[in-house]
Amino acid sequence: MAPDWFGPQTQTIGGYGKSMNSQELTFSDQPSDAAINGDLLRPVMKTGRGWIITVVVSGLVFLAGILAFAYQVSRGIGVWGLNRPVYWAFDITNFVFWIGISHAGTLISAILRVTGAEWRRPVTRCAEAITVFALMIGAMFPIVHLGKPWLFYWLAPYPNERGLWPNYRSPLLWDFFAINAYLLGSVIYLYLPLIPDLALVRARSRGLRRKIYGLLSLGWQGTQLQWARLEKAVQIMAVIIIPVAVSVHTIVSWDFAMAIQPMWHSTIFGPYFVAGAIFSGIAALILAMAIIRKVFHLEEYLRPLHFNNLGLLLLTMSMIWFYFTFAEYLTTWYGNEPSEKAIFQSKVSGPYSPMFWGMVVCCFAIPMPILAFKRLRTIAGTVIASICIVAGMWMERFLIIVPTLAHPRLSFNWGSYKPTWVEVVLLVGTFGYFVLLYAVFTKLFPIVAVWEYKEGRGPAPPGATQHKLKLPKTATATGD
Amino acid sequence: MANRVLAIFTTAADAMGATEELRRQGFASGSVALLSSEPIHGEIEKGLDGKRSRIGIFAIAGGVIGAMAAVGLTAVTSRSMNLVTGGMPIVAPWAFGIIVFEMTALGAIVSTLGRMVFEARLFRRALPEECDSAIADGKAVVVVDAGDEDRVGAAQEVLTRRGAEVL
Repeated sequence: MAPDWFGPQTQTIGGYGKSMNSQELTFSDQPSDAAINGDLLRPVMKTGRGWIITVVVSGLVFLAGILAFAYQVSRGIGVWGLNRPVYWAFDITNFVFWIGISHAGTLISAILRVTGAEWRRPVTRCAEAITVFALMIGAMFPIVHLGKPWLFYWLAPYPNERGLWPNYRSPLLWDFFAINAYLLGSVIYLYLPLIPDLALVRARSRGLRRKIYGLLSLGWQGTQLQWARLEKAVQIMAVIIIPVAVSVHTIVSWDFAMAIQPMWHSTIFGPYFVAGAIFSGIAALILAMAIIRKVFHLEEYLRPLHFNNLGLLLLTMSMIWFYFTFAEYLTTWYGNEPSEKAIFQSKVSGPYSPMFWGMVVCCFAIPMPILAFKRLRTIAGTVIASICIVAGMWMERFLIIVPTLAHPRLSFNWGSYKPTWVEVVLLVGTFGYFVLLYAVFTKLFPIVAVWEYKEGRGPAPPGATQHKLKLPKTATATGD
Repeated sequence: MANRVLAIFTTAADAMGATEELRRQGFASGSVALLSSEPIHGEIEKGLDGKRSRIGIFAIAGGVIGAMAAVGLTAVTSRSMNLVTGGMPIVAPWAFGIIVFEMTALGAIVSTLGRMVFEARLFRRALPEECDSAIADGKAVVVVDAGDEDRVGAAQEVLTRRGAEVL
């Protein structure tokens, strides 16, 4: 009989277990540790063809981005389409977009941990890794935007030769603190639950590799004291990191909202950006999971149930995003303030209207029906919805930035913006960079948390707490 | 430690039984450790370490230190320049509060990591390779720091009787 751990009806995992009718599951038949180790450490211990293809393709795309960047450095930022008055465009759009994507991981993982969502176990590390790499890429763009990126250290809080410190009242400096705090916190939050798995890889390695993983695992032995302290630290970290994650995108939104510019100076920009970030982040997580599942043959671990549950989250965020967008645009339209109305019109029926309506279709019209109907909320369905959402959210970031800059309050000064090939290649290159970083990570570290997965399968030894998985009635994904 | 006994059990349940018996025979909680590839919750947690974790307290302390550092950084450096920008006061609590918040969180995060490493007693003496492999394969290892020679024999007797492979 087919087994089922996290979802009741028709799924199987590892050839163990059995079908269960109860919504509260206890486990009697389970895959052995060796089977789980074999499956989840395979990507680290062996190099498959899928991984090599992924690295080569993403590496080439990344290389194209590097070449575009080198061209920009050698020629100056005149090779971009920036002009007066549009001083921010693709680079700042990419910055906001990637910082938004970074909300997939640490925030979602922390929320699922704090709420004790059992189905999170195979998902958390995939998500946390996204945060770290997306943040790295996002934080890179203000430096790229500097024009003279080698002077990036001027952003850091230290006095210059005249003893002047940076202006801490500037939202741009708030960014510096928020992004760095979130990056460091996310790296630690990724690293802590990774320690026992690093020890696992250490145990399976020889020579130099064993020494490196021995160092990385900090001499982890697996005593119950170590487990207790690790779980405590992860719990505390999860609680701390949630407000930090929320603050990061709020502060990114304040880069705009603090300026008295039409359609930027909005009090709801903070929550609007955070909602959009979580929205695009979940979509990115679904895409990453689908690729990992296929490339590393982790079908038994990243299962339809996980896509179903993330799809439901995505559906919720889609509605929240629509609500915020509608509220933002309705008040602008109703207020009928000329400078705001000009920007509104340029988006809804002017030169930016194809992108605006493309955004509405990608973020709402396509994903809503796919995610709302259980029959469509399959792996393929959620992946299609996610691709649309990622594209739609990039357009949304662009639409927030460029039309406002192109329409200053005095109309004689209006301008327009067209990207150049350098900006487009840089954008595409970041996707290659992200996939490359992610692929290298999956080669070096188990992408599914092995110990967390084992912990979640139960049953525990006599005298120990029995693990039970309480499932919502909706968590009944069908097989893929 | 010279008189250390290591034993590999096929299941965590057997290892837990042996651990409890060792404790009943007078081995101190701190001298008996159960090593496994996943955490074991419940009774076992009570006996293995008498001390309560102070990670939470350290997180709060780290947060306070981070906040104080942020106040110092923003207020002191701004006062040293006395440059008005945006019509805001030299020390602008609304604006500086954001940096204070971020550094509070950062302080709490870093001290949580540091305290966890300390309390979990990481960076200690490495286990023999066979123990490491056994744990990775899902077996459980019991480590007894027996103290004197007589106690070594007693520990080995209990562990062998409980079905362990004593190293």
